Amino acid sequence: MSTKTTGKILVLVPTFVLLVWIQAWGASEGCLNCHGDGNKVKKQYLIDPVHYRNTAHAKIADANFGCRTCHDNLSDRHPGDGVAAKTTTRCTDCHADIQAEYSESSHAKNAGCGDCHNPHAAHGPTEISGHEMNRMCANCHENDNMIQKHAEWLPQAKLHIQMLPCVTCHTSSKNYVITMYIVKRKDGERYGDFQPATYRQLQQLAGGRDILSLVDRNGDGYISLAELRLFNTDNTHDLRLQGMMTPETVTHNFQVLGNRWDCSFCHASGPQAMQTSYLALPQPDGTLQRAAVEKGAVLDAMNGTPDFYMLGSTRNPILSWVGLFIIVGGLVMPIGHGTLRFLTRKNRTGKGH
Amino acid sequence: MSDQQQNNNMIYLQPTPVRIWHWLNALGIVTLCITGAQIRFPEYVNIFGSYRAAIRLHNTAGIVVCLSFSLWFFYYTMVAGTMAQLYFPKKEDLKYGILRQAIFYFFNYFRGKPNPHHTMPDNKFNPMQKSAYLAIMFVLVPLVSLTGILLMNVAPLRDLLIMIGGLKILAGLHFLLACSLCAFLFTHIYLATLGHTPFAHFIPMWTGWEKLEEEHDSGHEHDPVHGAKQVH
Repeated sequence: MSTKTTGKILVLVPTFVLLVWIQAWGASEGCLNCHGDGNKVKKQYLIDPVHYRNTAHAKIADANFGCRTCHDNLSDRHPGDGVAAKTTTRCTDCHADIQAEYSESSHAKNAGCGDCHNPHAAHGPTEISGHEMNRMCANCHENDNMIQKHAEWLPQAKLHIQMLPCVTCHTSSKNYVITMYIVKRKDGERYGDFQPATYRQLQQLAGGRDILSLVDRNGDGYISLAELRLFNTDNTHDLRLQGMMTPETVTHNFQVLGNRWDCSFCHASGPQAMQTSYLALPQPDGTLQRAAVEKGAVLDAMNGTPDFYMLGSTRNPILSWVGLFIIVGGLVMPIGHGTLRFLTRKNRTGKGH
Repeated sequence: MSDQQQNNNMIYLQPTPVRIWHWLNALGIVTLCITGAQIRFPEYVNIFGSYRAAIRLHNTAGIVVCLSFSLWFFYYTMVAGTMAQLYFPKKEDLKYGILRQAIFYFFNYFRGKPNPHHTMPDNKFNPMQKSAYLAIMFVLVPLVSLTGILLMNVAPLRDLLIMIGGLKILAGLHFLLACSLCAFLFTHIYLATLGHTPFAHFIPMWTGWEKLEEEHDSGHEHDPVHGAKQVH
């Protein structure tokens, strides 16, 4: 190959790649000019650009043909040509493994991918909160109805449904972690339900600093038990930590698992199983990012996680020893006095003792 | 003729409502202790089959104890009207009575000396008992019951829980209070065996009647009604 030809290739290939990239990027952004604006398109065609831009789908689209990566029936004349967008790519084209897993679940007959997931706002399991996961489920499984059904066998059904993502019990995972979310009441309210705090609310409190600094005081990206205590006892804010037991790996094999009828599946695993926890913080794009928390923080007796306690599992070992010491203290009188009573029994012979 | 005077050697000490309360309370607290052990240490204690069964039984026993506590409170305040007289130590009790009773239990009892306190329906408890029962019935049992009721209703009473300091503090408090009640149980049962016979105090709590012991030596205090004295 001549030097001249090589030179042409070196110029043309990058130019082509750049043009494709610019076209793809331009296409996505161009589409979002209308589809990201509620005044220009109907609600069912509206895409939240902030959420979308951080999805894996957006990154794949940007790296290929923009929105046409999945909607390849669209032309440059859309919407003037009157052709509606079709999803010509199937979820299974990329997610065959999930499809195989899902097809074996009890859900497969009743719901397709799109019934739970919005492909324009699909995030990884650690990027969304347990509350959001449950909202997906509640689209079909109405909350009050679920509480009523679970209450037929499950003690504190409302509490369980409020404080657990459905997938914790209805999918299988080898391990579970505690994920903590920062929650707050509505502004100005002293009573009532807590809602996950938004990025903007936390940003205001952080005063321009990274919102992680609200908990991670020394800025090392790791939350120690001491930092958790400081956060929980800080009276200058109205934030609280809400813990949820979440699967370490989220799967799609939705089912009613036999071992979940037995409360001891979660409640008898003992303190050793409750060592790993994370703090999930909201990000500007609406997703969550996890920060690692010191091992065993949820077992702290007082201020590690004041509102998170799982009977049996998150018991504090020191408190257990104190309790045992108190009970043994109650045996001092019977044993000590009883021994002396036995040794001095002759003194009371015939005196009615 | 009053109940106290029906039999020369017998005294009607425990009226029916008190006995019902006591045995309901006893059954409830023992059940709470055992189920509570399974709830906190499920890896080591499995007496009631499933964890759910232990929780349901624990909750039921807790409600029984709360109801029996209400019966006790209602009876002594509204029916008998002797709550203050029986359960609140008098000035005399605080100044001398507690010390005198402690000296008996920890010293004179072993020497075969008589009990300085003589049980009567209107003065059932010795000064140490009064102080202990005051703390148990007016502090420990109400607190362990209240914390238990809150723990049974975490979702609807969340605001209240947060005012207290959170679920974890509440659960820890409930556990330590329950351990204290369990510790008291051992002492309570042991002290009940210190009558003139080991079962002398158990029988009246079942039948209502306590047998008074005849006087043994002239140096002992006399029962003003029967001319008999009781040794505990």
